[in-house]
Amino acid sequence: MAYTEEELKKELETKEYEYGFYTDIESDTFPIGLSEEIVIAISKKKEEPEWMTLWRLEAFRIWKKMEEPEWANVHYDKPDFQAISYYSAPKSADPNKSLDDVDPDLLEMYRKLGISVDEQKKLQNVAVDIVVDSVSVATTFKKTLAEKGIIFMPISEAIQEHPELVKKYMGTVVPKTDNFYAALNSAVFTDGSFCYIPKGVRCPMELSTYFRINQANTGQFERTLLIADEDSYVSYLEGCTAPSRDENQLHAAVVELIALDGAEIKYSTVQNWFPGGKDGKGGVFNFVTKRALCEKNAKVSWTQVETGSAVTWKYPSCILKGDNSIGEFYSIAVTNNYQQADTGTKMIHIGKNTRSTIISKGVSAGKSQNSYRGLVQINSRADNARNFSQCDSLLMGNECGAHTFPYIEVKNKTAQVEHEATTSKIGEDQIFYCNQRGISTEKAIALIVNGFSKEVLNKLPMEFAIEAQKLLEISLEGSVG
Amino acid sequence: MLKIKDLHASVEGKEILRGINLEVKAGEVHAIMGPNGSGKSTLASVIAGKEEFEVTQGSVELYGEDLEEVSPEGRAHKGLFLSFQYPIEIPGVSVTNFIKTAINESRKANGLEDMPAKDMLKMIREKSELLEIDRKFLSRSLNEGFSGGEKKRNEVFQMAMLEPKVAILDETDSGLDIDALRIVANGVNKLKSKDNAVILITHYQRLLEYIVPDFVHVLHNGKIVKSGGKDLALQLEEKGYDWLKQETAV
Amino acid sequence: MDLKDKLISSFIAFENNVDVEHPIHDVRMAAIKNFEAKGFPSKKEEAWKYTSLNSLQKVDFSIFPKQENTLEYKDVKRYFLHEIDSYKIVFVDGIYSSFLSETTHDGVDICLMSSALTKPMYKQVIDVYFNKIASKDESLTTLNTAFSREGAYIYIPKNKMPKKPIEILHFSTGNEASLMLQPRNLVVVEENAEVQIIERHQSLTSNEVLTNAVTEIYAAKSAIVDFYKIQNDVATASLIDNTYIDQKDKSVVRLHTFSFGGKMTRNNLNFYQNGEYIDSTMKGVTILGEKQHVDHHTLVHHIEPNCESHQDYKGIYGDSSTGVFNGKIIVDKIAQKTNAFQKNNNILISDKASINSKPQLEIFADDVKCSHGCTIGQLDEDAMFYLRSRGIPEKEARALLMYAFANNVLATVRIPELKKRINKLIAKKLGVNLGFDL
Ligand SMILES: Nc1ncnc2c1ncn2[C@@H]1O[C@H](COP(=O)(O)OP(=O)(O)OP(=O)(O)O)[C@@H](O)[C@H]1O
Ligand SMILES: [Mg+2]
Repeated sequence: MAYTEEELKKELETKEYEYGFYTDIESDTFPIGLSEEIVIAISKKKEEPEWMTLWRLEAFRIWKKMEEPEWANVHYDKPDFQAISYYSAPKSADPNKSLDDVDPDLLEMYRKLGISVDEQKKLQNVAVDIVVDSVSVATTFKKTLAEKGIIFMPISEAIQEHPELVKKYMGTVVPKTDNFYAALNSAVFTDGSFCYIPKGVRCPMELSTYFRINQANTGQFERTLLIADEDSYVSYLEGCTAPSRDENQLHAAVVELIALDGAEIKYSTVQNWFPGGKDGKGGVFNFVTKRALCEKNAKVSWTQVETGSAVTWKYPSCILKGDNSIGEFYSIAVTNNYQQADTGTKMIHIGKNTRSTIISKGVSAGKSQNSYRGLVQINSRADNARNFSQCDSLLMGNECGAHTFPYIEVKNKTAQVEHEATTSKIGEDQIFYCNQRGISTEKAIALIVNGFSKEVLNKLPMEFAIEAQKLLEISLEGSVG
Repeated sequence: MLKIKDLHASVEGKEILRGINLEVKAGEVHAIMGPNGSGKSTLASVIAGKEEFEVTQGSVELYGEDLEEVSPEGRAHKGLFLSFQYPIEIPGVSVTNFIKTAINESRKANGLEDMPAKDMLKMIREKSELLEIDRKFLSRSLNEGFSGGEKKRNEVFQMAMLEPKVAILDETDSGLDIDALRIVANGVNKLKSKDNAVILITHYQRLLEYIVPDFVHVLHNGKIVKSGGKDLALQLEEKGYDWLKQETAV
Repeated sequence: MDLKDKLISSFIAFENNVDVEHPIHDVRMAAIKNFEAKGFPSKKEEAWKYTSLNSLQKVDFSIFPKQENTLEYKDVKRYFLHEIDSYKIVFVDGIYSSFLSETTHDGVDICLMSSALTKPMYKQVIDVYFNKIASKDESLTTLNTAFSREGAYIYIPKNKMPKKPIEILHFSTGNEASLMLQPRNLVVVEENAEVQIIERHQSLTSNEVLTNAVTEIYAAKSAIVDFYKIQNDVATASLIDNTYIDQKDKSVVRLHTFSFGGKMTRNNLNFYQNGEYIDSTMKGVTILGEKQHVDHHTLVHHIEPNCESHQDYKGIYGDSSTGVFNGKIIVDKIAQKTNAFQKNNNILISDKASINSKPQLEIFADDVKCSHGCTIGQLDEDAMFYLRSRGIPEKEARALLMYAFANNVLATVRIPELKKRINKLIAKKLGVNLGFDL
């Protein structure tokens, strides 16, 4: 896997990784099904130390006793966990792709995106880790980062090279027992990114991970562990893509963030997994557990642009344990056709003077269902906690649904919590006004939706904001009739 | 260039325009006056292609082409501009972003490339100076929280940017303070040429002192009941509409 | 024997006292079957996440009072809105007290459920309305249905309005060590008719009482219903109040809930808008102390287009009290042009008090205006400062502001004497000396 930055750049230029092309690469795939043997085999394949193998096995045993959750406002045929292959690695690190069997619709979409990922620009100031199916194939800028003492590498390597850090932090924010998918991930995760920012260091560039699912019938279970030591800063971005397939693919990731005293983490996601066809066939099941632990004076912001996946189940959360810590959640979720999204956040206020902000924008079109589900919990010792939440939904057409399920639990009299939610539609007069200025209805809708989402888009790093805007536009295409 | 023939239009089965005839030639300024509810804004909306109104009879032609089948944005691409009596708010979309989109969509429809960012910025600078608009204003959300006068000025700014062939200004003067009225009127005058035309919908003679019309029409009950030169506006200012209503009732 | 088993075996005894040939009895049978299958709801159920019935189920409640008890009017006068004249339907330990009541059949029927369920002259109304909107699935509602026998029956024919408001009072005397009551009310307001109803549950001793009430309200076209629930019971009285409201075109229903007392109160308020141009209003003031617990559960189902709903719930929680607000708005696909608004504002005034709020919107129509807002906070410090700078001591200033916070919900109370009463109750609860007459 000798992969140079130069090569990667070239590859990205030719749009190798652009979204979900299925790459016809020879890969090393495990037989389908899940058992203790498979868990051990994954661990062996990765040449993991024994403690890791045992950790996985324990998770597997926990998972076996758990049931798939049903409380979310989503309906789908439960994946058959015995029909999935839990390990698939490309044999060659240079995925040569044939464009022949790519859905022309998809090609058209990419064409419209332009050089959507705008890799060129990104490569100048972004370090990228790319995870295809199950393994990490390239991490760029390792050297530059190493000079600052920053560790940014595939988690499989981190297990080998920095076992003390992995051992100390993995599973502390999202325990193996946390939920069904987190337990599954803990047992079978195959790769993901590991990042450590030392004390007082400001990471000089955006760190970024690209995920894609390539092989059919493989699940992707990546695990991200990000530790920002005292007074450090990092901005991290993940992008997700998958080829379009008729069958559903499973993605069950776990992301753990640890922000130690005074540290700040900005974590941005542009999620564009294959959403399924117009008829609702196929698409990725995106069941993700993301959580951050904030120590004293630490700050974590989650920003997400969710346009993909057939089913999304995802609640990036903050445990505001330290005094004066801050949690933020900015989200745009767009659903179209038969997509279903149940997403939101949990802000758990434990420390004093903790603050959280939640801005959630949902756009539903087609026959989709879009739910915001959030929890704001102010514990009894969290004096002077503050929360502000704003959830706005935009409905397009009369066959979709928008739902808001906020839970607010307050046990401290000094808390100030404010929650607002609105639901509305795009006004016909707004569209006519745009039409009159020469803007087509489709474009007008994109413009209005972008305006609606602006507070969230503004939180993204510049170049991704532009990409995200284009994504919003594309995912709503054909939603006006 | 714009020809309206026996135009009838209704909304929810209620007839509002009852046979309008009007021809506007290049280089002309027309003023349309008339009491509240007489159908002035409706006429403007119908010309711009608002689907809410059903054209039951007659036609609107631009450069000899019947607009019936042309979408509102298609009409805009052909050079039709309507300054709204009540401009719409679009939260989160800045004036600059909006106008950039509008210009490039029109260019695309006319087979042109996007306007280079440099030219765009230059044009924005020129036109905002012409209309004495603070640049900060242009990064605010379109019409959101704008004062009445600001909205109107912003409409004229967009007109300046889009350089239309036929511009209909629906009560663009109302809500403007005295200085703003002068600035806007000067702007309109500067934009006027022998190749384009302006239709002013107004209630006040005041505006017509700045932008001198070639023709004044009075709309009443969905019909043009009187047309004349700029003096007609003076006459109306003095006597109101009653004498006309009586005259036409006979 | 736990309470569920006791209730199921009591049903057999209950059957000895009612006409089992009567068609209503099939309804009761189906209901007890549902309760038997479901039992009491547990905290595992989403709708009961914040309210536990566990400790109540351990109490050995009598299901039927062993003797008939009487009360003197002078002893209970203060629980009536005695400043004005009213119709009164009064129950003592679940049994109708003709002595304390004032019913009528003069143009309207304001009387007893027991007669309505048995006498042929009411059959037509009972057939059309009884247990039609009440849930046949929710376990506590079906438990009530199974034992439904007594309660208030109010029928207002077309274009009629009773001469005076109606008071429904449920007293418990404490002659039983612990008593469970299951009143069942039916209110039918026909086209263009109007009615005002005040309902109150009052325990007179510190013996344990559990009331599981069901009220069905039908508001026909253009009907107007004002319903006021006063919940200011003693610390050993628990109430589960299930109210179902069916509204037709252009009807207006305003329901106010004043929760100032009791041990555990659960309000399940369900509005179904089966028509157009309907207005539904739900307002609540909750002021709690000690270990009291109140759970407001509202549902507004917008089924048809062009309707409105307004919810405004205010809560002040002291001591170790807990409050729950769970408000759900559903807008069906065809219910275009719906305006649905919901507000829930809370103030915590003690270190041990807590509040759980869960406003929910489920929207399937696009041309709607829906919003909800929820706040949990303290009194406005600027307002505090303003009052204190005018010489009002901090404690009084605080009380006054809380009073103002709770009080603005009362604007829609249409019986002036009642408004005055509630005002006084709020002032007393907050320890405010109003110093002026309201
Ligand atoms: N969408 C509509 N539905 C019903 N009636 C309409 C609609 N739009 C306009 N009308 C009616 O058509 C008539 C003409 O309205 P219009 O806005 O064209 O008047 P106007 O001449 O511009 O008046 P003003 O001077 O007050 O601006 C009015 O009676 C108005 O109420
Ligand atoms: Mg007008």
